Amino acid sequence: MTKKYEFDYDLIVIGSGAGGSAAANIVANKGKKVAIIEADTFGGDSPNWSDIPTKALLHAANLYDEACHGARFGLRSATLGYNYPSLRTWKDLAVKRTGAGNNRNYYESQGINTFSGAAHFLSPNEITVNRRHLSASNFLIATGSQWVIPDITGLDKVKYLTPRTILEELRPPKSLMIIGGGDTGVEIAQLMATFGTKVYIAEKAERLLPHHDSEAGEMIARILTEQKGVAVLTHSRVVSVEKDGLGKRVIISRADTEKSVKVDEVLIAAGRMPTVDFGLENAGVKYTAKGIEVNNFLQTNVRHIFAAGDVLGRDNHTHSAILESRVVANNILNRTKIAPDYTATPEIIFTNPGIATVGLSEDDCLKRDLPINKAIAPLNIIARSNTSDFRDGFVKIITDKKGVILGATIVAPHAGEMIHELALAIRYGLTAAQVADTPHAFLSWSEAIRVATGKLS
Amino acid sequence: MGLSVDIVKSGGKGQSESFNREKLHTSIVAVCLSVYTPEAQAEATAHAVCDAVITWLQQHPEVTNHDIRTIAAKHLKNYHPEAAYLYEQRYIII
Repeated sequence: MTKKYEFDYDLIVIGSGAGGSAAANIVANKGKKVAIIEADTFGGDSPNWSDIPTKALLHAANLYDEACHGARFGLRSATLGYNYPSLRTWKDLAVKRTGAGNNRNYYESQGINTFSGAAHFLSPNEITVNRRHLSASNFLIATGSQWVIPDITGLDKVKYLTPRTILEELRPPKSLMIIGGGDTGVEIAQLMATFGTKVYIAEKAERLLPHHDSEAGEMIARILTEQKGVAVLTHSRVVSVEKDGLGKRVIISRADTEKSVKVDEVLIAAGRMPTVDFGLENAGVKYTAKGIEVNNFLQTNVRHIFAAGDVLGRDNHTHSAILESRVVANNILNRTKIAPDYTATPEIIFTNPGIATVGLSEDDCLKRDLPINKAIAPLNIIARSNTSDFRDGFVKIITDKKGVILGATIVAPHAGEMIHELALAIRYGLTAAQVADTPHAFLSWSEAIRVATGKLS
Repeated sequence: MGLSVDIVKSGGKGQSESFNREKLHTSIVAVCLSVYTPEAQAEATAHAVCDAVITWLQQHPEVTNHDIRTIAAKHLKNYHPEAAYLYEQRYIII
């Protein structure tokens, strides 16, 4: 009789972040044998090192900033200050309270075996972690991504910060050069500038936030410059970094001229790349430096190996990773496979004012040669702008020629909350007229959405 | 402190052996010499490639012999593309 070989697990999840945890839980709850492996801190990047700690600090920074500028409302704020170690304690508390940060015990309580260490494929069905061999009938790769360290002369000889390590600094630096003007670079620029750091932000593109509509990048650059004293250096390429006394001297090439800036610290926020160095060749999984290749059902070319989250190299949103993780759980458990639907996935930048986008940007429509109509409602035309004394921002709506909403950008306080109305509209194919006809409460920021959609009705 | 890395041999029987720098060094030297590289340059190249592989191995306590070949070829490409091509193409037991 032929001996029947059994795998150790039904599913091994590599990475316990947003892309891995949902699938591990769902599959384990269905009675399957599941193991999860984490090379860093259990819970992954989002709760431990990026989303949660950054947003906790940004919340405190926004409160401080609002209070500092409260004199116009009759508030006395002359003696207002902050204690950075206490702010860090608050940030650590926020991380702890999520329950997702360093949550190894939670997985164990769900009957999921946990392993701490770097996983490495030995064959398509076997991995090694801490010299222990584990086999499974299915794998989910959710190893996430890491910050790209750009090829800048001298960078390897100086200490530099990343968006992860800056949160662990004992105090904000006196001056900071941020390399990269994307979502994270802009958030950290505002955070550090609020706490008194002189911030320089260098971006190769013509504007900050080059992947968003131009109005958003231009407005946030103006706000950072005028209100926070940030030096925004667009069209700028950092050529070299060298040690200069206790600080660093950064050489920037801008319009064929070189400029030198002396700063205390340099922060690298020039994009992320998928983590793929764990023996994928041994499993026969196809991948590139941009990420692991998968089909619509998130299967790699090796059908029992799935991938989800940042490692796909698509976008770096925690909510997209969770969606993909759930899809993978379904596709492992059920014969009928499903594909993730990314329609109307919002993107939010937690600056003040916040920036939120959903659907297609104007550039996306141009690239696809889509005929569009667009309307912008500046924030200062609604009543809330008056009562809050806040004028910087807008709502921009893009529709097709029939008035169906294709995309939206909001720059406003609470933009992250406002955007979901438009996400729903895009997902279900509503027209601008239908949104404009929906009552919007007086003195809510969302009135700007009614005004913008009304212009397209 | 010495590097302790297990190399899992191909063939699926789970046999493994400890990483041996000399073995890798010899194979890199051999491939460099086979494309008519001066002996001193071959030695220097092998030394640099072995250092790079060992740096990589410090985060990987157990790998396959295929991994060693892949990583060695990747670094060899920086020093000697012609030798790297040959190294990738021919089967060398490390």
